Amino acid sequence: MDVVDQLGAVREGKLSRRAFTKALLAAGVATATVPLGARQARATGDQATYFTWGGYDIPDIFQPYQAKNGELPNFSVFGASEEALTKMRGGFVVDVAHPCNSGMPRWVQTGLFHPIDTGRVEGFGDIIPSLVDLPGNAADGGNVWMVPFDWGQTSVTYRTDLFELEGEESWDMLWDKRYANKLGSLGSGGDAWWCGAIKAGVNFDDLDTDDAFTKISAVMREQRPLIRTYTDDTTTLQQALASGEMVAAMTWNDSATLLKAEGVPVKFAAPKEGALTWVCGLMMHKDAPNPDRAYDIISSLVSVESGKFLIDDYGYGHSNAKSFDEIPDERLAELGLSRNPDDILSAGHFQRPMSQDWETRMNETFEQIKAGF
Amino acid sequence: MADTSLSQAEARSEAPRPKTSWFSAVLYKSEALRGYLLMSPTMLILTIGIIIPFFILVAMSLWTRDGFGFDTTLTLSNYARTQSEPIFNALLQRSFWISGVATVATILVCYPMAYYVAFHVHRNKMMWIILMTLPFWTSYLLRVFAWKVILGYEGVINSGFMAIGWIEAPLEFLLYSQTAVIITLAHAWAAFAILPMYVSLEKIDKSLLEAATDLGDGPVARFFRITLPLSMPGVIAASFLIFIPTTGDYITPALLGGPDGAMIGNFIQLQFGPVNNWPMGATLSIVLMLWIAAIALVFLFLTRKAQEKIA
Repeated sequence: MDVVDQLGAVREGKLSRRAFTKALLAAGVATATVPLGARQARATGDQATYFTWGGYDIPDIFQPYQAKNGELPNFSVFGASEEALTKMRGGFVVDVAHPCNSGMPRWVQTGLFHPIDTGRVEGFGDIIPSLVDLPGNAADGGNVWMVPFDWGQTSVTYRTDLFELEGEESWDMLWDKRYANKLGSLGSGGDAWWCGAIKAGVNFDDLDTDDAFTKISAVMREQRPLIRTYTDDTTTLQQALASGEMVAAMTWNDSATLLKAEGVPVKFAAPKEGALTWVCGLMMHKDAPNPDRAYDIISSLVSVESGKFLIDDYGYGHSNAKSFDEIPDERLAELGLSRNPDDILSAGHFQRPMSQDWETRMNETFEQIKAGF
Repeated sequence: MADTSLSQAEARSEAPRPKTSWFSAVLYKSEALRGYLLMSPTMLILTIGIIIPFFILVAMSLWTRDGFGFDTTLTLSNYARTQSEPIFNALLQRSFWISGVATVATILVCYPMAYYVAFHVHRNKMMWIILMTLPFWTSYLLRVFAWKVILGYEGVINSGFMAIGWIEAPLEFLLYSQTAVIITLAHAWAAFAILPMYVSLEKIDKSLLEAATDLGDGPVARFFRITLPLSMPGVIAASFLIFIPTTGDYITPALLGGPDGAMIGNFIQLQFGPVNNWPMGATLSIVLMLWIAAIALVFLFLTRKAQEKIA
């Protein structure tokens, strides 16, 4: 049936009754079958949901999961871990979530999580023990609350062509008045406040003192007029650095690595005061609707394939010792990583768990400073 | 509803069912009951969706935060805090300023459009109206992102001006500023302003305009004496429709506002998010509601007075 002919027939008012019925039939069949495809796509069953930071919702780190279950898991993305915790406390149920070591004990305290049976995580034996052995991570029966996945640093990514370095790389770069309104910062206190503590010279042992709050508030207030925008969205920072809108910004490893891969002249600074270091991992919700597939997500993320991608493309450390065998030494040095995470983590200032009251007070203070008070 | 239950009662009249017929008799007699029944689906949704949450909000605003949970002893301390700490009032003022400017800008831009369609378009009016509501065919978030692309450092405006040679370096105040928030809000809510103003302009009796001309009014005097006062209901409706939702807007300042463009909506979100102080968030929501109600009342009162004066 020639479509153009039919249209012409309609225009001339000569469409035969038979052709008209046929067209109606075709339209009916088309309408009735449209949802069929969608339904079939879902027919492989419910995938597990992975609640994670932006940037981890990519197929590259889910190859083993995809091979086993046919599809990617469902993703839900957050920008800051406090936001994620609040959302889950409000009743949002996922299978696997992605907190970091400083938040983990508080996440456990909420009672929303289930210890992870290490025997069911494929390749758990290859995981670097010092990453598992974190304060508050041990659960009953030799199980753990959080299976470590990635580790890295929060530091300054700067444009080597636009930022004129005076002396050594340092946190002072983000307080440099020459570049007012050309500096960027992560918006979450979970990173920014700790970096402020390093800048203010506050020892992490004393973070909980009033004196520390006064000192850190002072440096954060000093920095605020210089900041173009605070954001939890790393893409915003990367784009701003790429365009020259910002010349330096507080980022994680991935921003620098991704920008370098794009050919943007940037460097991930090694500040003389030390960078902020952290370990993030995977926790399982106690009401996880798909516990079996939750273990598939965890196994997939700690697999060597995922680790290779995470190290090479994102510049993060991975928890699986074997992942590092895939990466040549020179590449590791270029990325500022090491086969032994302790070299990097203890060289910087390692984040640590704080009390809920401290978190609330810190966030409240920092948000007020960001708003200009 | 009355009709259907009546016919049901009739259909079952062989089997005696006193209850049904009693009910339909009441229904038949009482107009009020029929009215309430007709309203009941809406009332149900209103109760579940607005009234109950509102009371929860009020109750929560009287609690205080206690670690992960709440201390449910009733206290006004949150309200006291909104007065004792300057940040809350400053953010409220900034929100009213931004959305006030956005409202005025929207009305000023949209009034001529509504006027043109009401008086000078005679064919395909429907198409014109649909065209004016086109921005509403995409999601709000997409419109905000579109403005980010337009106003950005390497955005349409900056690269265009630089290509023409008007500016040397990109204008930085375009993005991450109150200006950006105002421009975006004014564009995003334009359709809400055009439609009510169009309706009230369309309703104006053209013979009044002819009479004014006959009696010697020029086009400008005629506009201010006839057209504008008669279209005021549309302008007032449009102002409310824009001012009220934009004051509490959250996503536009979050994406385009930068540090100085944050509004009260962002701070409320923070209370429910990272700051983890839900009672404070509830308090701020209620304070915002009260302020908007007060401003709306004052505005309504002033326009009434002005209209009386003109009349």
